[in-house]
Amino acid sequence: MSGKQFFIDRYTELAWKFKETQLRQSIRINQTNAKGKNLPERLRSLGVEIEKVPFLSKGYWVAKSKVSAGATAEYLLGMYSIQEAAAQIPVTLFTALRGKTVLDACASPGGKTVQLADLMENSGTLIALDVSRQRLAVMANHLERCHISSTIVYNLDARQASKLNRTFDRVLLDVPCSGNFASDKEWFSRRTFADIEQNSKVQREILAEAAKCLVADGEIVYSTCSLEPEEDELNMDWAIKNLGLTIQKVDCIGVNGSTEVFGRKLDLQVANCKRIWPGETQGFFVCKLKKVGFQ
Amino acid sequence: MKPFEVFSSRFGCKVAFNQEFILEKGQRYYLLNPGLKRMLQGDFYYAGLYLGKVGKNGVFFPSFNLLNMLVDVAANKIVVDRKTAWLFICERDVFRTGIVKVMGSKRKGDAALVLNEFGECLGFGTIMDGLNESKGKVAVKDVLDVGDFLRREARGKF
Repeated sequence: MSGKQFFIDRYTELAWKFKETQLRQSIRINQTNAKGKNLPERLRSLGVEIEKVPFLSKGYWVAKSKVSAGATAEYLLGMYSIQEAAAQIPVTLFTALRGKTVLDACASPGGKTVQLADLMENSGTLIALDVSRQRLAVMANHLERCHISSTIVYNLDARQASKLNRTFDRVLLDVPCSGNFASDKEWFSRRTFADIEQNSKVQREILAEAAKCLVADGEIVYSTCSLEPEEDELNMDWAIKNLGLTIQKVDCIGVNGSTEVFGRKLDLQVANCKRIWPGETQGFFVCKLKKVGFQ
Repeated sequence: MKPFEVFSSRFGCKVAFNQEFILEKGQRYYLLNPGLKRMLQGDFYYAGLYLGKVGKNGVFFPSFNLLNMLVDVAANKIVVDRKTAWLFICERDVFRTGIVKVMGSKRKGDAALVLNEFGECLGFGTIMDGLNESKGKVAVKDVLDVGDFLRREARGKF
């Protein structure tokens, strides 16, 4: 079970007509570092034309650029990060991050870690985990470039997060996933259904561990850049039924999560998830889960 | 004195950190806040504000966080024009003609922060003969500049 047509047929069943996409480069302004710097004007003077992304408060498309947007002094000074537009959404779905204890459970390469720290205004505590030491080195580079001061990074598998013996007010689960064709031109030839099932299994283990570490009334934002329901809606349905989590409505682009997937009826709360089909952005799936009541 | 304090003194200033919040791991130094210190446990990879590391050669290699902290207190600073700023982050040395302003020491061998037209720290260098001469010679030799973030990525080494 693999191949381009196999996956396209699945997307058709989910009511989306496949189309090839061309991604636009986008940046995210780091508000803490860019405050009072008139960054759009500075970039314009370098020949980098940016346009506001309508659905993001700090996101801009790079419309035209005479220089590499990832090599300007402004970038190197941490005033902005290169971050795909849809990938900027998950962190913005949390309520009240300032002063909170936050876990970024699958943190490398650190784009969302920096975004979290920026929205937390370097207050509170941000714990970032990743299983790969090599990827953590890339993250350390980002943290230094963006002058992040409120983060502790551990080389730890998200499935062992409870070893930290801490509870968290907010947990970001930007879980390892199968990805999608919009950001990987070889995707259809490389991916099989077995990969998706394997990723789904790991994602559920991560979700279960995160639920253990979450305070009552705490929030988990779950995201993938996979278009496959096994990693998205089906996992959320499983989380509702097995982890005592509820799915909250979120205000962002995308279509509602499917509540009927390949003949299976799912909990109606799954409609509160957002599925972003590739187009202006890469494909993405996001949702916010809450642990309600006292434990 | 800790290596980062010795390093800071090269810029004609004295910085003192509360040692209670300084953490050393594998010759790397981090500055924590009280909240982070309370949360820290076990074998961490990175914590708080990274200040720099002591290299295999025993020389202290500062972080850009530390250099930024020095901007307001360092005596030795030069401000460079836009073109020179760009060349500097491309690992090029600074010539006298590209310098807009010199503050503090002009003595050969001293260290100076290199700032752009907005007063933002791009790195630091060593003062050379050229700072006191009209033109043609290197005024400040590039030791570390923010372009290093890209070079580290290219090397795959941090």
